[in-house]
Amino acid sequence: MSDNLLSVRELVIHYETDEEVVEAVNNISFDLKKGEILGLVGETGAGKTTTALGIMGLLPPKVANVISGSVELDGNDLLRMTDRQMRKIRGKRISMIFQDPMTALNPVKTVGDQISEVVLLHDRCSKAEALRRAQEMLGMVGIVPERYRDYPHQFSGGMKQRIVIAIALACRPDLLIADEPTTALDVTIQAQILDMMRNLQKENGTSMILITHDLGVVAEMCDHCAVMYAGELVEYGTVEAVFDHPKHPYTEALYRSIPSLDKDVERLHVIPGMVTDPASLPAYCSFADRCGDACGMCRTLDPKVLDLGGGHTVKCLKYTSKWEGKTDGKTESA
Amino acid sequence: MEKQNLLEIRNLKKYFSTPRGELHAVDNVSFDIERGKTIGVVGESGCGKSTLGKTLMRLHDPTSGEVRYKGEDIASMPLSVFKKKYRADIQMIFQDPYASLDPRMNVIQLIEEPVRVNSKDLGKEEIRKKAREMMELVGLAKRLENSYPHELDGGRRQRIGIARALSLNPEFIVCDEPVSALDVSIQAQILNLLQDLQRERGLTYLFITHDMSVVRHISDDIAVMYLGQLIEKCPAGEIFKNTIHPYSRALLSAIPIPNVHEKRERMVLKGELTSPIDPKKCCRFAARCPYATDQCLETEPALREMRPGHFVACHGAEKFLS
Repeated sequence: MSDNLLSVRELVIHYETDEEVVEAVNNISFDLKKGEILGLVGETGAGKTTTALGIMGLLPPKVANVISGSVELDGNDLLRMTDRQMRKIRGKRISMIFQDPMTALNPVKTVGDQISEVVLLHDRCSKAEALRRAQEMLGMVGIVPERYRDYPHQFSGGMKQRIVIAIALACRPDLLIADEPTTALDVTIQAQILDMMRNLQKENGTSMILITHDLGVVAEMCDHCAVMYAGELVEYGTVEAVFDHPKHPYTEALYRSIPSLDKDVERLHVIPGMVTDPASLPAYCSFADRCGDACGMCRTLDPKVLDLGGGHTVKCLKYTSKWEGKTDGKTESA
Repeated sequence: MEKQNLLEIRNLKKYFSTPRGELHAVDNVSFDIERGKTIGVVGESGCGKSTLGKTLMRLHDPTSGEVRYKGEDIASMPLSVFKKKYRADIQMIFQDPYASLDPRMNVIQLIEEPVRVNSKDLGKEEIRKKAREMMELVGLAKRLENSYPHELDGGRRQRIGIARALSLNPEFIVCDEPVSALDVSIQAQILNLLQDLQRERGLTYLFITHDMSVVRHISDDIAVMYLGQLIEKCPAGEIFKNTIHPYSRALLSAIPIPNVHEKRERMVLKGELTSPIDPKKCCRFAARCPYATDQCLETEPALREMRPGHFVACHGAEKFLS
């Protein structure tokens, strides 16, 4: 038996409007083991959130289309489930935390009600029991349980995010998807929330997909790291492999563009050009036009995902015999 | 050339009255800003860093205190005089380039606007010429002239914000979280642009941010604020090596660093910011400080120079001198 909790295979998601087709997620595959934390990094528009919504079955209907692929949770394909079946899984086996805790909570319901709502929906129990669970969850995320009767506006941003986490974990899910859970928070509060998430994860053995654009958060929290660019998974591996030996030119460039805390750099590295528009992706490697290592072949072929050993995969021509070496002619433009 | 202070801020206060009492947004802040340098202001949300920036350029009227710009106090002069004399000299770049741009104006109109408002004697052609120069300066392609903000990405919108600020040939620019809303690759472009412009035009920046790695990269001096007060100020290199104030150290240790091998001892602060409304006369950080003593709860520490150029407001500063 495999110990994979989640396995995503060749997932393709498009958004279709009257004018254009946005290829948001293009053929991505990855596995998540039980108890593992996977960091999903990339810039705005890379398809991180779409991937998460695809797994959750929460893509906006009509506009978003899952073209192909599968998302298996313990061997059952979530994409083939009915809405009814999905509702039983969402909140119970997979939960999601959204970026902005201010908008994720209902302003006219007490936080106790909002946590017990999930419990009542999924577990057969009395209201009193659900409320007791809600208080227990509040305690677990470090909020005085007596405050279950308070409304969201009575809490600060960091505490609201704790409540959102309490709701997500109320039914002890197997998988938690956290979409930029700390981006809206101050660093000191972020440190508290991350510490808490790590402890809860250890205690409950929850698997986690952590979506973030902060490479520092990935280094601290995750076991594996997946780098997305233009809807593709361009690099995947253990955090040690990806951080110490980044292989994809995009990953490398991303590192060099962050100001360092302990080194003086005169000028920051700039990735030339703009983030590739997912509404008009080239037929070749989507990073080729911004890549310092691109050769003629890179602007002809779409590279395949290549295993460099030890599960470290990269989607780049550089590591194949087809690569012809650097060609110059890159200019910095805005 | 001799060191020259462009701005000298003395005992600056900005209080807001709220139904629950006086909110001390900026409380008794004093420091100097050297000409041609960048001072980074860091702190958590609600510590008063944006209010400080806005008060310096008279978007808020200060409650008391002095802001001496080239020797003249701009805090107490009538707003109309300030606008006429100094508005063009002191400009601001805002955090959210989308919210700060009129969605119904295109790029060239947006950049022309400040020039038109502030130099009434210029003709249409001259204004357009100036705006085009600005577009070139900040790296906006000419073809974007007729684009609207919603058609552009965050980095380009921020370039418009920078072009607007620069179009009046200011000497001093308050940058209020100019890169916080941007992706890292775009952030790098904007930071490089700001540094180039500073070098070419001798600009002075007050750079407000909550991102410590950005502030270290761009600043010459760093000021740490906590609940309206300046608690530490020193050269940028110093703060990461020889931080003194316990709050600054907690703030630094909270930053996740993108290195898997460096596991640091983290100082996780308990609780959150206390209320800035009618604060007690004591060290404002004492309630969260692991080293707080009775003295901290009784008297307010003053800013003291612990090392040359390194100022700290902490009773226990001697203990933390490493």
